[in-house]
Amino acid sequence: MSVSVPFRGDRMVRIALTLAATAFVALFLLLPLIAVFVEALSKGVAVFVAALTEPDALAAIKLTLLVAGISVPLNVIFGICAAWAITKFDFPGKSLLITFIDLPFSVSPVVVGLVYVLLFGAQGWFGPWLIEHGIRIIFAVPGIVMATVFVTFPFIARELIPLMAEQGRDDEEAALSLGAGGLQTFLRVTLPNIRWGLLYGVLLCNARAMGEFGAVSVVSGHLRGLTNTMPLHVEILYNEYNFTAAFAVASLLALLALLTLVLKSTLEWKFDYSHGSVRH
Amino acid sequence: MIALHNISKRFGTFAALNGVDLTVRDGEFLALLGPSGSGKTTLLRIMAGLAFPDQGQVRFHGEDVTALGVADRKVGFVFQHYALFKHMTVLDNVGFGLSVRPRKERPPKAKIRSRARELLELVQLGGLGDRYPAQLSGGQRQRVALARALAVEPQLLLLDEPFGALDAKVRKELRRWLRQLHEQMGLTSIFVTHDQEEALELADRVVVMEQGTIEQVGSPEEVYMTPSSGFVSRFVGDSNSLPVDLFEGSAYFHERPIYRLSGETGNGGARLDFRPHDVVLDAGGADALPLLVTGVYRRGGSWRVEGTVDGSSRIVEVDVVADAAPPAIGSRLGLSIKRARLFAANGAPQ
Repeated sequence: MSVSVPFRGDRMVRIALTLAATAFVALFLLLPLIAVFVEALSKGVAVFVAALTEPDALAAIKLTLLVAGISVPLNVIFGICAAWAITKFDFPGKSLLITFIDLPFSVSPVVVGLVYVLLFGAQGWFGPWLIEHGIRIIFAVPGIVMATVFVTFPFIARELIPLMAEQGRDDEEAALSLGAGGLQTFLRVTLPNIRWGLLYGVLLCNARAMGEFGAVSVVSGHLRGLTNTMPLHVEILYNEYNFTAAFAVASLLALLALLTLVLKSTLEWKFDYSHGSVRH
Repeated sequence: MIALHNISKRFGTFAALNGVDLTVRDGEFLALLGPSGSGKTTLLRIMAGLAFPDQGQVRFHGEDVTALGVADRKVGFVFQHYALFKHMTVLDNVGFGLSVRPRKERPPKAKIRSRARELLELVQLGGLGDRYPAQLSGGQRQRVALARALAVEPQLLLLDEPFGALDAKVRKELRRWLRQLHEQMGLTSIFVTHDQEEALELADRVVVMEQGTIEQVGSPEEVYMTPSSGFVSRFVGDSNSLPVDLFEGSAYFHERPIYRLSGETGNGGARLDFRPHDVVLDAGGADALPLLVTGVYRRGGSWRVEGTVDGSSRIVEVDVVADAAPPAIGSRLGLSIKRARLFAANGAPQ
């Protein structure tokens, strides 16, 4: 943190600001994080392990992994397509598309969940048709996946758009002029150029996909062992005054957050490195 | 032979090219010269198949290739900012074109590597095959880009401002080297530049472009000595331009005869263009134009003298051999024009 201030600020001001920021981080971020682990282990490791291995908890973990496992790859594809279209081609309605990509950031996740219920629920627009054909979306895994995809859509596209815009089209045109096909150009030139940015986006997208609560809560129906993801399971346990179990599952999510943070820092370091002078 | 016929291209409301016709001879080194926005890069990209004309035809050796993409035209393209693949070694960059060929035509790996090494030798970067582009200087990167383009054995080499991103000294060396390489290989080559010196030094023929049209095509000597328009006269090499009135075979500036014209000319308004070195400065004669010296600086072996003429605010540049002391600033001299060209007041040849 060696930011040089353009004017000679008062030493006391600097110390006060640093203290304020540190106190804020400690009080609002660090303390709760520690509290999660302390509470989770308060009744011993055996209770902690039991809370994580009981069938409903395992089902919630599995479902969370499944949902992330489906929605992250989908958003990798959507994100690359959208970023590619926006940065390498000119077409009418481009700025509208960019606005739409940001929509999930500005809409409350609960609203997203409600919209899906309105569209695909039993009383919804497509409800009767879906029931007729025996397709369940709301209160089932497809709905949870759809809500998660919606909420996590911007992460990868937002990461790639500035990166690909900066890189321009020269590399791709060079590859084409050397006789490479479209797929070869993508796999051998475009993908390596964006790989760190893409990984970074995947990481953030995954963290959000596993942690999403609001939208998923509305469409899931909270069926224990069937449509409960980890965040929903935590809420149920908490509402049942089963604090130790709730914090045990929550500690897994907290660990995921810490892991994401470490990987993110590593990637940032790598990313800068590859932009600099030597090889990656 | 490459022939362009009536090529037009618009970007939105901006007409980048307006009915351009051009023939490129086999083995020649051609420069597309013009200011930014003149359409020269667009024309190059259309020849490459990286851009497509709204109208007109591109022919390679009589075959219509207008609709073919860059991959099917067998052209080598060198980008201003090199466009090297930064995650690949120099050797892999050069071998890329061979390694993406369909399986049946693709040479074995060892063959690709040895061919890439040969090409690196050709561009004088022998031992650098294992480096990454980021570890090379600008001039070296541009040579790698050239080697990479040559690896696919193109029938035409296209270079977009190949020296634009390099500093002056490297630029000069690379220019000389590229000229030699061209003579050695005899490959038809076309390069885009906005630097008239570069065009005159390198090219067999220069195509001067302005506002989406070709103003003149000719050898460097022709373009410099007999510019076809006021624009070419002023864009290629330094040129002074004075508004004159023509009367009975003489050009008058401020009612003073300053240049005797050869051949038939009408009467009326026109522009008289002359080079800084086509002028004599001395105490002044009957035809001499009074010049008030406002600035002097050295340009190699001569003084470049700047001054205003005949009490007007018009600035004229004059070259004086630097074997004597330069004229003092504020001194008044007489200027006689030895060679000049006449253009209509709107810039067309007259």
